[in-house]
Order: sequence, then structure tokens, then C-alpha cells
Amino acid sequence: MSDTTQTLPKAGKTLSGGRIDLLIAALLLAMAIAAPFVIESRYMMGQLILGLFWASVAVQWNLLFGYAGVFSLGQMAVFAVGGYATAMLAYYLDLNIFLAIAAGAVIATVFSALVGLACLRLQGVYVALLTYAIAQVIYLLIVTDTNCFEMVGTTCRQFTGGATGFARFGDFGMRAILKGDWIKGNYAIVLGCFVLSMLVSWIILHGPMGLAFKALRDNQAYAVARGINRFHTQLLVFGLSAFFTGMTGGLYATHFQAIGPGIFSISSLLFILAIAVVGGVGTFWGPVVGTIVLMVADELMREVGSFRSIGLGLIIAFAVVALPRGLVGRFSDIFHKHKS
Amino acid sequence: MSETKGTSLELEGIHAGYDGPDVLHGITLTVPQGQIVTVVGPNGHGKSTLLRTISGLTARRAGRIRLGGQDLTGLRPERIAALGLAHVPQGDLLFPEMTVYENLQMGAYLSRDPQQFAALLEDVYALLPRLKERHGQIASSLSGGERRMVGIGRGLMAGARVLMIDEPSLGLAPLVIEQIYEVIGTLREQGRTILLVEENPARVAHLSDVMHLLDDGRLTWSGAPAELLEREELLETYLGG
Amino acid sequence: MDILIAIITTGLTNGALYALATIGLSLVWGSMGMLNMAHGALLALGGYAVFSVATTLGLPVWLAVLAAAGAGALAGVILYICVVRSLIRTAGKNFETSVMIATVGISISLQNALLQVYGGQPLKQPFGVSGAFRIGDSVVPWLNVVIILVSVVVMLGLALLISRTRMGRAIRATAQNREAALLMGVAVERTYLQVLALSGAVAGICGVLVSSVTQLSPTLGADPMLKAFIMCVVAGLGNLPGAVAAAFGLAMIEAGVQFGMGARWGFPVLLMLVIAILIWRPNGLFGRAQIRRM
Repeated sequence: MSDTTQTLPKAGKTLSGGRIDLLIAALLLAMAIAAPFVIESRYMMGQLILGLFWASVAVQWNLLFGYAGVFSLGQMAVFAVGGYATAMLAYYLDLNIFLAIAAGAVIATVFSALVGLACLRLQGVYVALLTYAIAQVIYLLIVTDTNCFEMVGTTCRQFTGGATGFARFGDFGMRAILKGDWIKGNYAIVLGCFVLSMLVSWIILHGPMGLAFKALRDNQAYAVARGINRFHTQLLVFGLSAFFTGMTGGLYATHFQAIGPGIFSISSLLFILAIAVVGGVGTFWGPVVGTIVLMVADELMREVGSFRSIGLGLIIAFAVVALPRGLVGRFSDIFHKHKS
Repeated sequence: MSETKGTSLELEGIHAGYDGPDVLHGITLTVPQGQIVTVVGPNGHGKSTLLRTISGLTARRAGRIRLGGQDLTGLRPERIAALGLAHVPQGDLLFPEMTVYENLQMGAYLSRDPQQFAALLEDVYALLPRLKERHGQIASSLSGGERRMVGIGRGLMAGARVLMIDEPSLGLAPLVIEQIYEVIGTLREQGRTILLVEENPARVAHLSDVMHLLDDGRLTWSGAPAELLEREELLETYLGG
Repeated sequence: MDILIAIITTGLTNGALYALATIGLSLVWGSMGMLNMAHGALLALGGYAVFSVATTLGLPVWLAVLAAAGAGALAGVILYICVVRSLIRTAGKNFETSVMIATVGISISLQNALLQVYGGQPLKQPFGVSGAFRIGDSVVPWLNVVIILVSVVVMLGLALLISRTRMGRAIRATAQNREAALLMGVAVERTYLQVLALSGAVAGICGVLVSSVTQLSPTLGADPMLKAFIMCVVAGLGNLPGAVAAAFGLAMIEAGVQFGMGARWGFPVLLMLVIAILIWRPNGLFGRAQIRRM
């Protein structure tokens, strides 16, 4: 590698680090599989599952922003679309929950592709603003929905679930099989899906499309001159990332047996941004590392309760200023300096 | 204008570059008070980088720069400008949405003295009457030659001790180039101190007191203009005739 | 006829508020290529500053409004010193996105800090005018007139500052060509500081006006900021007169839709319109090419 990679080092190194990736993956996977046999506390298992949800969304956001250069602030909206679609299909049509999750992922993909058609031709910041605005509009339309769709007992229920959302539309069926250990069954399902999404991301990033992303990110004019269609590539990754984000939304709704408009809140988007920024935008393991760090930090800040959000916001700002490529970027810089 | 006799601008072993390796490899030259010193050389060999380094836009990696005896090491561009160095950059870099008059006003940004401003403006208008005609016009709507004149006028408005002009002929039609160099000829008669950069030595030989040949980041020849024009092998090798 | 007057009153009032929120954002974007996601939180800060100074300390309201502007300006200065300055120096081509993410963080922190200090229950803030006058059969509150007047005065003041003063020239010069501004001796970093302070001051006053219509809550700036984003995008980021025109125009349309189709459809219709405009003109209606900061 030439010395000019000093300024743009991320891409090339992860490529050559395929073996390192495998090692890290094996280690993490071993820990993740061992966890339910070691951990007895249901609360801890719940937190692990929650961590997997966050990590999954952050991984997909990182794929979009860190690799494809699309700065979207609508990630939680895609997540919510997946969750809502799952809940509504199961609630209204009594669809099998796994089918509903798959359908939710597809609907999220279609939704995202439509958004992409509307805004991917725009410059970076415009994309961010529009995706943010679209997410807010959906949120506002849901919470201000007051039209009665059906009566449940004496209360009226809106088609979109209104301000309360949906609950008790089905679960993974683990309570019937595993009884008290149902949460470990849920964990297995969520972990399996997470591993799948990581695997697909890895394959994509190391295939021709990954090269196209890198070319577009590092030198757009050159990439376009070499026949890479920016719009198509970005739309493709928009859809792909939406599929797994939507799927995670469906899993989330099913695990908690509830979904409501709160998921659109800026603080959940913020948590995703924080995970990616602290871990390292544009690095493969960044979102995973970021999730671990922030879940632990969050756990510690539980003590100070109401100051949690203040702390989270400051952590983000600090990380952007002091760790431009996150903990993983920082670590790999040190690692590579040491080696050379 | 402050009148300290002797050397105005001194460069000693300047190394500079952008992200990659050095573009300038140890430039040493002086611009004496009241003289026009010209650096000629092929494009892409560091002429603009040299001026940018002097005015602080490009980071200097080694060497010293002194202006009227004052060390410019580590100073930011706005401080260097305040010490009396005006830089007319390549491609003018006008303020495109401002009028000609506002551009000239920006040239005198550092002087808060309205009388001095009026005097400088009168000088510039006398030298470049076209600017007076066009004073209310938006800069981006001017012709190439007019834009160049605004660039030079804006540089003069600083009332600086040393003026640096980067390729005033760049991208202009031959007739317009002649006009621009006539203006610089007038500046020479006024006894100004100028560091000029140009690709074609024939255009500036009659204006220069000293000429330097910049090749691949090094000064390969220095001397009187007449000598350079006689050295045909130099012109051949470096400038393609 | 009554509906028309109601639409015009609402449209003009909201237009004034949006315009004020928009020019603060647009000024910062235009001069430094920074999208300040904490702008909405600065609005809230201004609203609470008025409450603290006038209601809690009992000082006159006009002084409290000045304090709100001061608080916003101070927040802008702190934001610059703690976050923006080092990002400008280090983030390079990632500046645009980095500064957005960082200011999202600052915004959440500031809103939650306000929540901690003032509590979650909505407060009534002291700035306001009671009474109304009639046009035909419709009632127009004096408060709306005051809001429009104050907005116009602030915007005119800002316009004069930008177009006529030495500081304003330096701001415009920096926006149009940063390198050339440096060569003219403009201390560009100080200009950035001034821009954020100015924008913060305008945001503070805007927050006072917004909270006089709604009520004080830490998230009071979220909705105006969202609208302001839309206005900025329609006008083309960084275009101040365009932003003002877009603000009034879109506010009128929004008011019309709200009266015609119901309040909840105002913003969705607006957004559809914006998306259509952007597909037609990706740089906004009056947009200019990318600004050069680096």
C-alpha cells in the first residue's frame, strides 16, 4: 500500500484483513453462543437481545453511510416500517409471525426504494434532511390518526394504531416450547438473524459492489468515469440495508410483542448514530464495538437516570470531534503503525 | 506605503507541499525594495505553490520567510496579509456575488481609515479606469480581462509593501494580455515591489529586474532577463522554446 | 372570506416564524457549509431564557428578549469553540456529515438539560400581547401582528448587517471564497464564530416568538426547525432571500391545506411539494453550486 493511504486508510485494510475478520467473528460468535448457558438473569438476556437489535440497525446504517456514502436520517423509519408491517399483518390478517416478519422486511425494502427514488439524486445533506423529514411526517401521521378503524371493547382503534401502537399480535412461540427459558429461544432467533445480516454485509462489501462503494466514496468523478452508476449502486444498497433493517424491526416488534410511534423518536436515532460514531463509521466491526461500549455506558448511566440523554448527546459530540474514525479506526491505526 | 530601503521579501530554503511529497525543494530568493522579480517555469512545477506558501495558504515544511525583516514563520494568512503582503491569486478568486466596488472594498479590508481608502481607490481607478465604469457590476458577470483587472485592483487596494501576482496572463486573449502587462508596466514605473509569476519569459523580460527559472520545485537559473533570453538551450529544455 | 383572512393570518404569522428560523440555519450553511442540527434546541433556549429573566427574575420583557438573543449567541459561540472549530480543522471532506452528527448530539444534550432545569410540564412564557382586532367578521389577534413585526425587524436588521457593515462583508466574502477572504486579511475563524453567534441570537429571538404562540417545552424548536430545513432545501441551502420567500410561500400553502384538509395534512402535503420541487431542481429553486469551504 502506498503512503497516500495514510489519509484514506479504511477500505484497503479491511479488505486484506479477511482473516482477521474471520477470527473476530469466530470469537464473538463463540461468546454469543456461550452467553445463554452462562447468564441466568432474564434482564441480562433481554439486554443482550436489545443490543443485537441496536447493533443490527447500526450495521445497516453504517453500510449505507460508512460504505455507500448515503447519509440517511430515516433509518429508524425503515425499522419502524418493518415493525409496523409485521405487527399489522399479524394483527389484522393473522399471518404467521415469521411470514409477517419476512413480509415486513420486503415492505420496508419497497418503502426505502421509494424514498431512495425521491432523494438519492440529491447531494448528501439534502438526502439527510429529506429522509429526516419523511420519517417525521410518518410519525406525525401515525400519532395524529384519530379515525376509528374498529372497536376493541369500548375503545376505538385506529388503523395505524395511533398514539398507542400495537400489542399482543403474536410471538415467536418460544413460551410454548421452552416455558421459563423462552427468552433464550428468542435470543437464538435474533442472534441467528443478526449473524445472517452480518454475513450478507460482509459478502457484499468484499464483492464487486463493495469495490464500487469504495470507488464512489473515494473519488466519485473517477468512479463515474469508469462506468459505475452512482444512482443504481446507491439505490441497491438503500434497498438491501432496508431489508435487514426492516427485518430487525419485525423481530423487535415480535420480541417485545409491541410496537408504537415512540420508535420514531430522535433518541433512538441518536443511539444508532452514537453506536456508529463511537465504534467507527466505515469500519466493519465499528457498529458491533460501538453497541457493546454504549450498552455498557448506558447501563452505567442508569444510576444517574435522567441525565442519561445529556450524557449520550455529549458522548456523540465528543466522539465525532476526538475519534473521527471511532474506536475501531483508532485501534487499527495503532495496530498498523505498530506493524510497519 | 512604508519606505524601508533594501530587501523587502526574503525566502530561505523553502520546502512546501500539499498532502503528498514536497512540491518545492529548497527555494531561496529575495525581492528587493522597488524591484520586480519574476519566477518563470513550466506549469505544474510549483510556481503557484511558491506564492501560496509565502502568503500562508499552503503549509511550509521547512525554511524561513521574512517580510521587511519580520519573520513570517507560523503566521496565518490573515496575519501575513496584515503585515503588508498582497497576493493576487491564480484565477483571480474574486468574490463572485459582490460588485466590483465591494471587491475593491474587500481588498482594503484591513485598513479602517476612510481617507486612505479614498486615496487608494482613486489610484486604482486611475490605473484601471475600466473598474470605475463597472464599479456597480456583479463580479461574476464581468469578462475575463475585467475580472483580472479587479483581481489586480483588489490586490493594490491593500496598500501592501509587496505585491505578488500569479500568472496575470492565464486564460486571456493575446490583446487582453498586452493590456494587463501594460498595467504592470505602469506599476513598475511607480516603483512598486512585485513578485511576479509567469509561464512565458518573453512576456515579462522587459518588466523584470531579476528572473528565476523554477523547474520541478527548484530554482535552476537566476539572473538578469536579457541573459535568460540569450540562453536558448535553457528556454528550449524548460519552456519548449 | 373569513376563511381567507384566517388563512392569510396564519400563513403570514407562521411564515414569519419559519423565515426567522430559516435564515439562522441558512446563514450558517451559506457561510461555512454547516447544517446546525442544534438550531431547534437554540430556539428552546431562547424561549426559556425569556421565562427565566422576565418571570423568575421579574425584569422587563424587552430586556428578557435581549437576554434570549444573548443566550442564543452565547450558545453559538460555545458550540463553535467546543465542536465546530476542531471539526473544521480536522474533518476535511467529512465536515458536512460530522458536524451534523455532532450537533444532533449537542441538540439532545441541550434539550435534556433544559428538561432537567425547568421540568417537563409546559410553562407559559411572559412575552405576549393580548387582545385582537376585527376585519369584517374575523378576529385577528394582536399577538400575530407583533410576531410578524418583530420578525420583519429582525430580518431587516440582519440584512443591513450583512450587506452594509464591514463584518457583514467579511461574512459574505468568506462564504463566496474562503481563500480569497484569507488573502484579504479576514480572520476566517473569527468570522465563523460571528456567524454562529448571529445565528444563535436570531434563533433565541425566534424561540421567544414561537413559544408565545405555543408554550415552553424543551422540544418547542423541533417543529420550526423541521419546517426550516424544508424551506432551506426548497430555496437552495444558503440562499437568504430565497429562504425568506420560501418560508412565506410554503407557510401560506400549509395554512391553506390545513384549513382545507385538516391540520394533520399540512406538513405531509408540504413535504410532497418539496420532493416534487427537488426532483425538478435538485439544488432547490434558487440554489447555487456548492460553496467552497476547504
